[in-house]
Amino acid sequence: MGLARYLLKRLVAIVVTISLVLGAGYVLIYISPGTFYDAANMGQGLSQLQVSDPALYNKYLNSLNSRYGLNQPLIVQVAKYVWHSLTFNFGTSFENPSVPIIHQLASALPISAVLAFGAVVLAIVLGVPLGVLAALKRNTWLDSALTTLSMVGQAIPSFVLAVLLVLFFGVWFPGLLPINGWGTVGEAVLPIVALSAGNVGAVTRYTRGSMVEVLRQDYIRTAEAKGVPHKRVVLRHALRNSLVALVTVIGPTFAFTIISTLWVEQIFSIPGLGSLLAEAFPNKDVPLAITSVYILCLLVMGMNLLVDLLYRVLDPRVKLQ
Amino acid sequence: MATIAAAAGISTRGPRRTSQLSLAWRRYKRNKLAVAGAIVVVAFIVAGVIGPWVAPQGYAQANFLDANQPPSLRFPFGTDNLGHDMLSQVLWSFRNAVEIAFGASLVSFAIGVALGLWAGLRGGIVDMVVMRLVDFMFAFPNYFLSLFLVITLGRNLLPILLAIGIPGWAGYARLVRGLVLGMRNGEMVEAARAFGASTGHIARKYLLPNITNSIFVAIAFGIPFDLLVMASLSLVGLGLRPPLPSFGNMIAQAGGNVLGYPWLLYFPAGIFAVILLSFLFVADGLQEALDPKAGEGHLRRTRRLWFGLRGR
Repeated sequence: MGLARYLLKRLVAIVVTISLVLGAGYVLIYISPGTFYDAANMGQGLSQLQVSDPALYNKYLNSLNSRYGLNQPLIVQVAKYVWHSLTFNFGTSFENPSVPIIHQLASALPISAVLAFGAVVLAIVLGVPLGVLAALKRNTWLDSALTTLSMVGQAIPSFVLAVLLVLFFGVWFPGLLPINGWGTVGEAVLPIVALSAGNVGAVTRYTRGSMVEVLRQDYIRTAEAKGVPHKRVVLRHALRNSLVALVTVIGPTFAFTIISTLWVEQIFSIPGLGSLLAEAFPNKDVPLAITSVYILCLLVMGMNLLVDLLYRVLDPRVKLQ
Repeated sequence: MATIAAAAGISTRGPRRTSQLSLAWRRYKRNKLAVAGAIVVVAFIVAGVIGPWVAPQGYAQANFLDANQPPSLRFPFGTDNLGHDMLSQVLWSFRNAVEIAFGASLVSFAIGVALGLWAGLRGGIVDMVVMRLVDFMFAFPNYFLSLFLVITLGRNLLPILLAIGIPGWAGYARLVRGLVLGMRNGEMVEAARAFGASTGHIARKYLLPNITNSIFVAIAFGIPFDLLVMASLSLVGLGLRPPLPSFGNMIAQAGGNVLGYPWLLYFPAGIFAVILLSFLFVADGLQEALDPKAGEGHLRRTRRLWFGLRGR
């Protein structure tokens, strides 16, 4: 089908999916016990008020509820929430009633995006050459070493690696690289490395496998038989075909990287979307929590769509469905 | 006779066993890493069972006078800021880890395989509905669904187990449905139907034994992922409530305190990483052993990534 129709179909699917996710998330938080307005978040004064003057306390809570629309029927709440999210009208969070969420997002989203994209790009930039090297020198000690290193990189979770990096650069060799905050290039190095280690391993193994399979093909043999220089065979013919297969793995890799940024941001004290989400969830700050999930899901779905389109461009045999 | 054979290097002990299981075991043994991984996995399970009995102290016992001690004879893994003996904490954590990881995989497996079988066998509208649901689950990261579920269900062992396990059904369902569809029109099933076998009988006797290999591999890849999710829940403040010990909790606390007390990190993080690595080696080995035709190229990698990521 035409590109426009395919795009439309995918966008509609994204909208439907995200609406369902938002609705389900909202309902799940709604039925969960507890509320944001407890002593931890509202201070001692409120719980004292609850004891001393229950009527006033209830009136206060009711005014908060009606301010945020929490006293409407559930189905109305969900419908309104989904509609507002789709039109990017996010309101304010419970925690900071004077700061619109969209401002918080505007400062946090670029940080997380740079972190995630940086990790994926680094993974590709490091992983593809290493994978090609491993494929060309397959079954030698270099190949075994690279493969094992890749597996180790994949096995160690990014947050464990992040804590190890904090240990290394904070305790053993302090001052080499900063381990907190975000703003300078130096501060970006460690988080991106921690995030990308697993991905580098995955990309390396994947590229290697893909290259090994491609190098076995007949057309490679033909090219070599015809006398094409080995380097050109590898770069022009083999690599291009295995890159196509690599694109399919970028989608899940990016999704997993986005999730890992939640953890890495916690450890390196990076004020990104993950930190916002990590604060919002335990406190049941409903607007902020669901909005963060919304934005992150949108990022992932957008990336998946991009990857599918890219796949079509790279491999003309693929038909859009 | 025997000496002639011995001189020729031929064994006279009779034919080797050629059952499927022993063939698979022989393939598995070829992979040294996988065997090492299997040993660690077994040790992990054993530790999960006997850990609390072997631990010198209960997990809640706080020796305030001995807080923040580096590793010593009395506290081989040191103590944390409340004086908990880290060795005991680690030993107690094994049980929670084993229960949650295996339990969550069991839940995903149960829901996923049931739905996948139903969709594959029934076809028609059931198949369409289930596949739409699977596509929905794969469209967004399921991790967030787990977060929502933890908030809804609570932060105890069983709720966390369910929260991690429930969103994972989609991977199994898609796998099983694909396998069933592949076999449904095969000759074996056709012959069985010709003899009048019911659908349930076909499912149990013919389909299930043939898909167990792939399911086994899927579970093997799923368990380390569930461990990872469980540990990460503690990082965002939604893990097991303290003082219940868990690896995620220990790693998160160590991350905060690492500047002063690095031993709090070495042992829990190291052990956790070793366990994850071992599961991955085992899973890879199982895939090689049980599914050798999965191939060496991108197909195998796709499956591995698929199970490891499963749309989360």
